Amino acid sequence: MGQPSIVSQMSEKVNSRSGKSYLPTIGIECHVQLSTKTKLFSEVDNDARGKSPNSCVSPVDYGLPGMLPRLNKEAAYYAVRAGLALNAKINLESRFDRKHYFYPDLPKGYQITQMFHPIIGEGFVELPDGTKIRIEHAHLEEDAGKLSHENGYSLVDLNRAGTPLVEIVSQPDIHSAEHARDYCKELWRLMTYAEVTFGDLYNGNMRFDVNISVAEEGATELGTRAEVKNLNSFRSVERAAKYEIERQIKLIENGEAVKQETRGWSDASGETTAQRSKEMAQDYRYMPEPDVPPVRLSKEVVEVERAKLPKMPADYRELFGGLIATDTLEVLLDYPLLMQKLAEVADNSGTGAVKIANLFSSVLLAEENASLLNDELPSREQLLKLVEMLEENQLSSTGGKEVFLKFFDPEMHYKNTETIAKELGVVQENDLAALEAIVDSMLAKPETKKAQDDYRAGQEKVLGFLVGQVMKESRGKANPSSVQEILRKKLQ
Amino acid sequence: MEINQETVAHLAELSNFSLSEEEGKRLESDLAGIIDYISQLDELNTEGIEPTYQVFEMENVWRPDQIEPQEADREELLSLTKEVRNNQIKVPKVL
Repeated sequence: MGQPSIVSQMSEKVNSRSGKSYLPTIGIECHVQLSTKTKLFSEVDNDARGKSPNSCVSPVDYGLPGMLPRLNKEAAYYAVRAGLALNAKINLESRFDRKHYFYPDLPKGYQITQMFHPIIGEGFVELPDGTKIRIEHAHLEEDAGKLSHENGYSLVDLNRAGTPLVEIVSQPDIHSAEHARDYCKELWRLMTYAEVTFGDLYNGNMRFDVNISVAEEGATELGTRAEVKNLNSFRSVERAAKYEIERQIKLIENGEAVKQETRGWSDASGETTAQRSKEMAQDYRYMPEPDVPPVRLSKEVVEVERAKLPKMPADYRELFGGLIATDTLEVLLDYPLLMQKLAEVADNSGTGAVKIANLFSSVLLAEENASLLNDELPSREQLLKLVEMLEENQLSSTGGKEVFLKFFDPEMHYKNTETIAKELGVVQENDLAALEAIVDSMLAKPETKKAQDDYRAGQEKVLGFLVGQVMKESRGKANPSSVQEILRKKLQ
Repeated sequence: MEINQETVAHLAELSNFSLSEEEGKRLESDLAGIIDYISQLDELNTEGIEPTYQVFEMENVWRPDQIEPQEADREELLSLTKEVRNNQIKVPKVL
């Protein structure tokens, strides 16, 4: 495991209106819902998306007396893979504990979690700018049910109760709202690349609790922290952290104390507000879970899971770092399958991969086309041929874009690149003899006579008109720069 | 560990029990007795001994990741609750 870099305190500090400097310190807990077929301890459908309330439940999830939870082996393996994606030590022996609290989303009255012997030990996450955030540990636990609040009452749906979670606990290594966002986003990438979660933030597949404190520069102790719970987008993580840093600095400047408490975030108002004061840790009355015996993994299992990990964002940054502009690369990295495709193209043609990367970013990531990325991606052969045709000027960049878009057309996507280009009529005429013939026939037309004379008289810009005429004549298939060259020669 | 009315009230609150004064008193003496009895274990030197998670030394009691039909369906499960609305369990408003 690499050593975390020392975060530069100079660049992270926040200046208050009174001129004092403060250093924010942020630690993040992230809950990742694993995409196993069944729940952590019961044999029912774990994918409750779009399903009727309480239709994916078993007596185990309901917490009926006498029910015996049985561990989903695959969930343990997913956790191993998640841990490896976090560059973490895998604890070959891990154990489960009961965490007691009374709340309607938890019928048993306790959550089965791993308080003392988590499956994932210390690790780190490297942010796009190279900052390393240490992972304290990560553990397996079961999710609670979903509450919706109505006027005067609440409703409980237990479809989500018992869904396996990996809770990733960072060290307080984050010192700005921007890095908090970057860290959450990178976690999302790591978990989706490792294919342990659907990674659908809108449906709560990943949720973030952000612990924030501020301390005056040079202080030897951290300030009192507040925890903003249950954030489900990168943007809300950043906004909530920024708001909370400012709120706490203001309190301190006014001589008031920051309370240790749980706060909720409202996207609409852009504010955090106090929720119930946090129960003290010992109130959870942790005890070893007698129903779920410990897990002992072999080193082989860990290696099997390691072999399942595809290239990760860090690998792609290394592969494409010097080739593709960082901004473009960081956008493309949100799409693991697309990156896989780029790597396949890069195996044959490095410059080709750059061309395709630019097509992906310019054509697809435009708002109205982004949804195409959910469809099947073009094949390696299609992309390589496209690169070849672009490089040999058989396609103009505009024509290339048109062909590229058709790769996503259900009617066209199975056809090869050349066929698509021909059907679109965008293959450029590069045969010089054929081009000359077209130029000659155009120059023979009386209506171009005046333009020819003007050009000879030194009016350079009429050349554009003449090129346009040839293009029209060729129905757009002529390569404009070749046409220009021929015209210049002929009109000397 | 001392058990008094305060500890009993605190535990009751955590578990969402309502206790009458009489029940509280009885629990206080019951709990005190239980703790006292269990406290005999304090006489043992447990230095360096790992807590027991599993008395039968079992490990890896796990199952394949395969959906199985459930004997109890939603209606049966919901019938165990006090109040149902839109196939959900209706509870007093919580935060």
